[in-house]
Amino acid sequence: MKVLLQSNSLKKILASLSFLFLLSFSISAQEGDYANGKKLFNANCAACHKLDKKLIGPALGGVTDRRDNEWLQAWIKDNNALRASGDQDAIDIFNEYNGMPMTAYPQLSEQDINDILVYTNGEPEEAPATAALTQEVDPKVAEGKKLYQVHCASCHKLDKKLIGPALGNVADRRSMEWLKAWIKDNNALRASGDQDAIDIFNEYNGMPMTAFPQLSDEDIEAIIAYTSVGDVAPAATVAGEEVIAQPRHPIPWMTYVVILAIAGLVAWIYFVSDNGFLKIAATIFVLILVGYIGLNALMDLGIDQDYQPIQPIAFSHKIHAGDNKIDCQYCHSTAKHSKHSGIPSVNVCMNCHKSIAEYNGPVTSERDKEFYDAEIQKIYDAIGWDPENLAYIEGYEQKPIQWVRIHNLPDFAYFNHAQHVTAGGIACQKCHGPVEEMEDMYQYSPLTMGWCIECHRETSVDLKGNDYYAKIHAQLADKYGVEKVTIAQIGGLECGKCHY
Amino acid sequence: MASNKKYWKSVEELNQNSSIVEKLQKSEFIEDLPTDKFLGDKESLSNSDTSRRDFLKYVGFSTAVASLAACEGPVINSIPYVVKPDDVIPGIPDFYASAIADGFDFANVLVKVREGRPIKIEPNKEAANGFTNARVQASVLSLYDNNRLRGPIVKGEESDWTTLDKEVAGQLAEIKAKGGRIVFLTGTTASPSINALISSFNETYGNVDHVVYDAVSEDAALNAFEKMYGHRALPDYHFDKAEVIVSVAADFLGDWQGGNFSAGYAAGRKPKNGKMSRLIQFESNMSLTGANADKRVIAKPSEQMKVMQMLYASIVEGKSVGNATPVEDAVQKALAQIKKAGNNAVVVTGIQDENAQLLALAINHALQSQAIDVVSTKNVRMGDAAKVDQLVKDMNSGAVSALFLYNTNPAYTLPNGTAFAEGLKKVGLSVNFASIMDQTAELCQYVATAPHYLESWGDVEIKKGHYSLMQPTIHPLFNTRQFQDTLLKWTGSDQSYYDYLKGMWQTNILGGKSWNKALHDGSFKVGTGELELTLNEVNLAAASAALSNASDSEMELTVYVKTGLGDGQQANNPWLQELPDPITRTSWDNYLLISRIDAERLGVKNWTVDNGALNGDLVNVTANGVTLNNIPAYIQPGQAPGSVSIALGYGRTDLKNDMKVGVNAYPLAGAAYHEVSIQKAEGVHEFACVQLQHTIMGREEEILKETTLEDFVNKPKEEWNHAPVFSLDHQEVTQDKVDLWEPFDDTIGTKFNLSIDLATCTACAACIVACHAENNVPVVGKHEIRVSRDMHWLRVDRYYSSDMTVERGKEEGIFGSGDFFNAQTHPSDAPEVSFQPVMCQHCNHAPCETVCPVAATSHGRQGQNQMAYNRCIGTRYCANNCPYRVRRFNWFKYANNNEFDFNMNNELGRMVLNPDVVVRSRGVMEKCSFCIQKTQLTILNAKKEGRAVADGEFETACSSACPNGSLVFGDVNDKESEVAHLSEDDRTFKLLDFVGTKPNVFYQLKVKNTNEA
Repeated sequence: MKVLLQSNSLKKILASLSFLFLLSFSISAQEGDYANGKKLFNANCAACHKLDKKLIGPALGGVTDRRDNEWLQAWIKDNNALRASGDQDAIDIFNEYNGMPMTAYPQLSEQDINDILVYTNGEPEEAPATAALTQEVDPKVAEGKKLYQVHCASCHKLDKKLIGPALGNVADRRSMEWLKAWIKDNNALRASGDQDAIDIFNEYNGMPMTAFPQLSDEDIEAIIAYTSVGDVAPAATVAGEEVIAQPRHPIPWMTYVVILAIAGLVAWIYFVSDNGFLKIAATIFVLILVGYIGLNALMDLGIDQDYQPIQPIAFSHKIHAGDNKIDCQYCHSTAKHSKHSGIPSVNVCMNCHKSIAEYNGPVTSERDKEFYDAEIQKIYDAIGWDPENLAYIEGYEQKPIQWVRIHNLPDFAYFNHAQHVTAGGIACQKCHGPVEEMEDMYQYSPLTMGWCIECHRETSVDLKGNDYYAKIHAQLADKYGVEKVTIAQIGGLECGKCHY
Repeated sequence: MASNKKYWKSVEELNQNSSIVEKLQKSEFIEDLPTDKFLGDKESLSNSDTSRRDFLKYVGFSTAVASLAACEGPVINSIPYVVKPDDVIPGIPDFYASAIADGFDFANVLVKVREGRPIKIEPNKEAANGFTNARVQASVLSLYDNNRLRGPIVKGEESDWTTLDKEVAGQLAEIKAKGGRIVFLTGTTASPSINALISSFNETYGNVDHVVYDAVSEDAALNAFEKMYGHRALPDYHFDKAEVIVSVAADFLGDWQGGNFSAGYAAGRKPKNGKMSRLIQFESNMSLTGANADKRVIAKPSEQMKVMQMLYASIVEGKSVGNATPVEDAVQKALAQIKKAGNNAVVVTGIQDENAQLLALAINHALQSQAIDVVSTKNVRMGDAAKVDQLVKDMNSGAVSALFLYNTNPAYTLPNGTAFAEGLKKVGLSVNFASIMDQTAELCQYVATAPHYLESWGDVEIKKGHYSLMQPTIHPLFNTRQFQDTLLKWTGSDQSYYDYLKGMWQTNILGGKSWNKALHDGSFKVGTGELELTLNEVNLAAASAALSNASDSEMELTVYVKTGLGDGQQANNPWLQELPDPITRTSWDNYLLISRIDAERLGVKNWTVDNGALNGDLVNVTANGVTLNNIPAYIQPGQAPGSVSIALGYGRTDLKNDMKVGVNAYPLAGAAYHEVSIQKAEGVHEFACVQLQHTIMGREEEILKETTLEDFVNKPKEEWNHAPVFSLDHQEVTQDKVDLWEPFDDTIGTKFNLSIDLATCTACAACIVACHAENNVPVVGKHEIRVSRDMHWLRVDRYYSSDMTVERGKEEGIFGSGDFFNAQTHPSDAPEVSFQPVMCQHCNHAPCETVCPVAATSHGRQGQNQMAYNRCIGTRYCANNCPYRVRRFNWFKYANNNEFDFNMNNELGRMVLNPDVVVRSRGVMEKCSFCIQKTQLTILNAKKEGRAVADGEFETACSSACPNGSLVFGDVNDKESEVAHLSEDDRTFKLLDFVGTKPNVFYQLKVKNTNEA
């Protein structure tokens, strides 16, 4: 199987080597590392915090402007202790959020927290922002676009026929008065004997358009203005977007130099030098190195973290969950009910892709519009949809899409999505990582038993409003003398809970 | 003291000189690893093909290969639906109400369907016939039978429906033109729609007959009922309303008259207010009913007839009976009790003789028994033997132009099967609506392959007014077409059977009620109103006289059906083949049951070989003009001397090789009993008998507790259910005061307990098959069973005992000597029988947990003893240390292994596997998990809905399958739950509680109603 970006063994070895050298040479970043901060934020904070708005906890964007670093360090490591120390700010926050304490993170180092804080301050350098995409547009056109997408887009396109006719430059064909009358109540217009209205109705097989009496004249004018201007094509391929071409764990070029230097040194000791002590030392060094790398490699057997296979359709979670903010469970709808999160069936794709036959979002040099359009066409090939005539093809032999499964648990481990999503209230990202940023889906977590257990040890059970836990929680809290009971304390570490 | 009885499982244990029993008691694993084979002989070792050098090469190579192979995992595809059906959520089972009506078993069931695959049958407890037995539970596996035909067969060749329809239609037109006779020969369908379809077939083609034929017939009872009440039907019985039940060879806890009576019987077996029912059984071979009876009287078949006559003479005619023989004495005592109970008594008989059945009806009528219902009669087993006989004659005389066979296999099941086969050749058109190429289908010109009942629509009226619907639970696996659809097509209708059925129900049955509701419920009850019942004049005196003149032969043979295979139509089902018979504890076989006395006379022996397996001699049997050669003889304690019995349903020739076991005994069926002659034959038979396996270190005396109703009512609990006492600081204390271990704090949250009521358990074995299906338990085959490697997580132990107790033995000074055993009667005489289901006891202080070197088995807070298969390295210490012998070791890889060519070795058969339970690999230990996948699901559902779990929601596969409600599972920390109440019951005891394991399974001891007055 060809694997895109799959870190192969060599890369793994290099990565471990570079890690080794980074350690030995203490080349640690003195300041916060944005990328690391983001990773840590997503792993630890994202379940309760967003940068830009309140979630379970407060919005964290620019938190460093509001609190000093020392306070933040203390709070994140152990907010309970901070409160206990009488810190008024801490107590206020606690009260503001209904006395729900934040999970303590004693395991985070000072550097980790600094990294997170750097991340909360936003992009470190000038982001290749969407600035290039945004352009000065008439506010009326912008408003019109918004309205168009809410009310019209499911049946109309600007440039071609969908369920209704193409609307690009419709103002050239009809008068504004007529359009207002039509949009507000096309039935009444037809009833009044307007021939144009009746013709359109007949042309579209007597299927009446929904009436929009709630739209004001200004709204309609805005929409028409938008149909006249249309979308402005993206300026150009944006540089710096080639995320997919970069290895996820970049190996600094310095490492290669150091490795070469060491290898050279060892070679010199063996073949040139006469120093017996150096030879013994070098041998010990090489043995330890080989042992270390070998052990690491063995421990990684069967762990498919970062597994990123090529899928039959280059489905971009970034476009769907990120750019278009589609809720995870819209497509993975069974995650809340069942052990399986469920890969959406093609008819779910068609809910949107009936009307979205082409891609108009930002593109990269590798993946341009044609590329994405061809991927959308694959859905149609699977289910038998004719995008020209906008109809399912009669008697089409449907072909299910053979996705490559990324997250594979062994048979003897029982995992249930509903337990985590519905009963536990865990965000999908907690285990699957920043899916909304993934152009190609990969396995974010190691999915090892140690990884499961660690979370079960640390995570408190969310018991609020769940009568199932009412009695057992009171008893357990009493028994362990704690306020919040962890999953481990209610038996979440027992072998038989997952192995049967 | 009843609980001081001496129990034994096998006759071998009564043999004082046997070293095998002791050996078996001491070791969980009988056979040593065969290391001597290759290490013991130096010469052969050095000459071996595999030198040490080679060995090291292989080790090195395989290590390298294994490491390399592990570097790149396989690519696994996930393929979603293109258009997902609305009602399927992957991972969540759907339950559909349906009904089984295969001609032998009739029941309302719920079918558990995962992602479109039926994987489990549950009883539909809200319907009147919502009871499942072992065969109904196993029927889901028959859906995935690899032997099923893939499509229609035309003259022995695979074909298509168009060809078949065209050819058959052509012939039917010819037959119609010349007015030929068309006969439908079916098993009992009890289906209103099939009956209607056959009448419309008659309207189309004229001269159509419908002959109903049951392999295991209740013809005598039907004829008797017809004589008495004017129409053919079987009365229903409510044994819960009976105080005294006298049964003459009626195995009503087995399959007698269609079965499903055990729930009613069990309801009367729990002592309430000092009262419970009393069951007196007269029989020759040990049946489930006899084994459960309070008093079992051994009477050979001809004596049974006389018993019926005496009962009739006394109750109806008021004559007195003698007490010269033990049987007569027993009859006299039974009569006294019947008369005392009046209309609370009931007499039933399983003698396949019209006169005997007539007298039973007359007796119950005279008693005005409340327990018999002759108004709302049952429609199961409606076969008419006389019509079948006539049909075979007509076929042979060429009077039948076309024969349509559905749900029947007469070439195999008819005693005159060869005559049938001959006649079939003379029938112009023969069409079989079979789903397997059975012995009859092979003889037919056309096989219009029919689907399994789980793929079909259908209806059945099991009891008058009790209608049930069948619905498909899976898209047909093969190119099959329902019998009913084919009939519609051949009568020129273009309606589908579904539309026909729905229309018929809406017109005739539902009376304006909702079809969808009826389909959802699976059953629909129609008020029958007051039914007039006419009682015909019958010459009962003649019947009585005929019975009293029953000829007494030296050796009499009866046939019976085993719990597992029944009439044999599911003989290709490995779950049923592997199910040990509750009485003989033998699987994969049928055999001639013979008493010790007759065996000694004939020189026939059974003996236990060194590894604990049972061997026996072979005999040749001649009866009914037929000789069956080389039948294994099984010496059955409690078999009436002068009688032998053999089970039906075995010896089918159309099965896979592994399944071709036993001999076909149908040629010996067809009468109440046959005179038989038996000769010992050459050769030895190897039985797959588990009765000596998993013995409990000689603690059998302590493992079982039972008492009599008299003691239970009159004596304090300590006398009949004493708790063990221990000496602590020289003082006698109860068990809770002494403990080697720190107690678990198990008061918080859920704590699972399972209660098993031995008073109501009849050993029907439904739980064993349910466990098999739920937990992906592998089938291991006959040889492995023989060497004690059966994999059943749940077994039902069967113990024999006699009225010689330890105390009496001590009084008479023979306790501990061989005389003690002999005095306990020879086992061939009347042993009492006790059953005890045993699964993992989920000890709070589990001996298995402490010896596991890798902590693969551990204790859960919810009371479960958990087994992590992936952690197990197979030391088998746990099994050695388990006092209950409930752990099972995977000696081999049982899935995907041609050596174990059962359902897990083909793709079709694997479809039955429960996706929530892992299939264990070779080299790991497994055992009952308390169905943790079910309890976890119940908890998760409660969490998702944010509510507490209600009592009764927690279930295990066995507790849900039990028709008698003997197994109750639940949260003992919920003080209001049923299981919590049961744990406080006076009858409650724990298995081997003196060992201090503190199990989470507890039992209610059995109470026998030994009251003779």
